[in-house]
Amino acid sequence: MLGRLTQGELKIAGRRREQLLFLMDNGIYVVTVLLFIVFVFLAPYFFTPRNLVNILISASLAGIVTAGYTVAILAGQIDTSTQGVLAVATVTTALLFEELGFSLPMTVIFALLAGIAAGLFNGVIVVNGKIVAFVATLATQGVMLAIALFLSGGQTITIAREGLQEAVFIRVFGIPSSVWIMFFCYIVGYVLLTQTKLGAHIYATGADYRASLLSGVPVDRVIRIALVISALTAALTAVLVTARAKQSAMFGLAIAGSVDFVTALTAVLLGGFSLFGGVGRIERNLVAVLFLTILGNGLQLMNVPTGIILIVRGFALVLAVILSVLRARMT
Amino acid sequence: MASDEVILETIDLDKSFGAVHAVRTVSWKVYAGSVNALVGDNGAGKSTLIKLISGALQPNGGGFRVRGQETRIGGPAGAFGLGIAAVYQDLALVENRDVVMNMFLGSELTRGPGQIFLDHKGMLRQAHQVLDDIHARIPNVREMVRNLSGGQRQAVAVGRALIRGGEIIIMDEPTAALGVEQTQEVLQLIDTLRSQGKTIILISHNIQQVFEIADFISVMFHGELLGTRPREKATEAEVVAMIMGKRSP
Ligand SMILES: Nc1ncnc2c1ncn2[C@@H]1O[C@H](COP(=O)(O)OP(=O)(O)OP(=O)(O)O)[C@@H](O)[C@H]1O
Ligand SMILES: [Mg+2]
Repeated sequence: MLGRLTQGELKIAGRRREQLLFLMDNGIYVVTVLLFIVFVFLAPYFFTPRNLVNILISASLAGIVTAGYTVAILAGQIDTSTQGVLAVATVTTALLFEELGFSLPMTVIFALLAGIAAGLFNGVIVVNGKIVAFVATLATQGVMLAIALFLSGGQTITIAREGLQEAVFIRVFGIPSSVWIMFFCYIVGYVLLTQTKLGAHIYATGADYRASLLSGVPVDRVIRIALVISALTAALTAVLVTARAKQSAMFGLAIAGSVDFVTALTAVLLGGFSLFGGVGRIERNLVAVLFLTILGNGLQLMNVPTGIILIVRGFALVLAVILSVLRARMT
Repeated sequence: MASDEVILETIDLDKSFGAVHAVRTVSWKVYAGSVNALVGDNGAGKSTLIKLISGALQPNGGGFRVRGQETRIGGPAGAFGLGIAAVYQDLALVENRDVVMNMFLGSELTRGPGQIFLDHKGMLRQAHQVLDDIHARIPNVREMVRNLSGGQRQAVAVGRALIRGGEIIIMDEPTAALGVEQTQEVLQLIDTLRSQGKTIILISHNIQQVFEIADFISVMFHGELLGTRPREKATEAEVVAMIMGKRSP
């Protein structure tokens, strides 16, 4: 069809296309604000300080894991091992803190190291094994889940020792630390992606691997780093989830509410990212996470049955996928 | 500015892809400050030869002499180090990045501790300057490359080569996909580069165009280099015959 347009018309089409893209990319801001306003009127207790803080806490857990996930997506790597990393890191946290009596800082450091190790493992399979991340990380996730199962003996480890939850959820200016950590992650992510050389390489590698390679971008190293960042934020989330639940949350990811691969994926797609990499802005992602959290929270307060909420969230993913495909066709 | 000073030389360069012998013991001289055209039929081995020179491929045999020094070209980065920069047939531009980021891709200007931060201002300034130098018409350097015309893309790719410190600029069929006006723009660009003392390696299928712009014309046939002629001593008929495999005396 485009072939039949003359060159002049193509330019107009190009401008319209850019406008439409702008709308698709930034619509998430408008939709989120609208949703918020709707719930203020429809959902009882929604607009109370207590509930708003609750929303922020839930959003923080999903938000942190999504921040790293975004970096991987931008580098063109769909990292499906999030659940696996969460499992390894939650078990590590609970084991070290509860059963081996590690200090809080050491526990956190080792849980994060477990995340880094998982990310490096993903990197080896993707880069050295030359296997598409989507498939490779599905496989490594199986290994990680098995390791977590082995370490925990298949049991949920309950944390009786004081200090973990209290420390991790200290309130600063009335807002729990996990929320501050989330904002910190997004600020670091924003600076990394827009202001650093590594960020430019992450975008370029995701947008066009071959062109980047020919231009001298160290593409393989970039992919490794992106996968480590993704796993690292998953591990950080695991520490917070474990602290919040006071137990290893391996089989109880439901405890964490919305911390999972699907939410991260939905948020990333709603945020206007391309599944093929190289396109998207991390700040939109934060908004998309808030959108999904507000949606779940508001519906819950309106006493909508959980099953229906899950269906709505499912549709949100379907919509996000459609948007993403439309976007990909347009560019 | 055409000279007979040899800036780059391949020595018995050889490359096979399995059973396909794409480049056969090619010894080729590239002249400084000149437009060195490389012509030949489809599959003659032109792209393969220049990929060996730009470090995108590694030879199975033979070597290089650059500015009189024997050397190997380990990869694209090694080639940049020697002042060799290729503008590939598909330009190797990243569609979803803007002009500036494309021009600096892989050689970003940096600042701050550990040189990890991008020097956005510096890159913007230098991008404008380089594009001005080659008289490129690109109104907005923050435009995504996907919205540029073919001629503009060519300018961006050449700009990138110059930013890399490219002294020897390789262009693989730069006008193949372009209309009349944009082709003229690219030829002008090549002329500008030559007048600034750059060495250009130009692959083209358009014999007329080659005679219009080249100083030296080299012909490949079935992986072999059949010969090099200064333009003023060559005739179109002779070159066409060579392209079809007729060895000249
Ligand atoms: N990566 C590769 N793997 C296998 N064979 C290849 C590869 N690249 C090139 N060839 C083969 O090597 C030969 C020379 O190809 P090359 O691309 O160098 O030709 P060319 O002169 O640039 O042709 P054209 O004018 O069509 O661009 C061809 O037979 C081609 O099929
Ligand atoms: Mg070719």
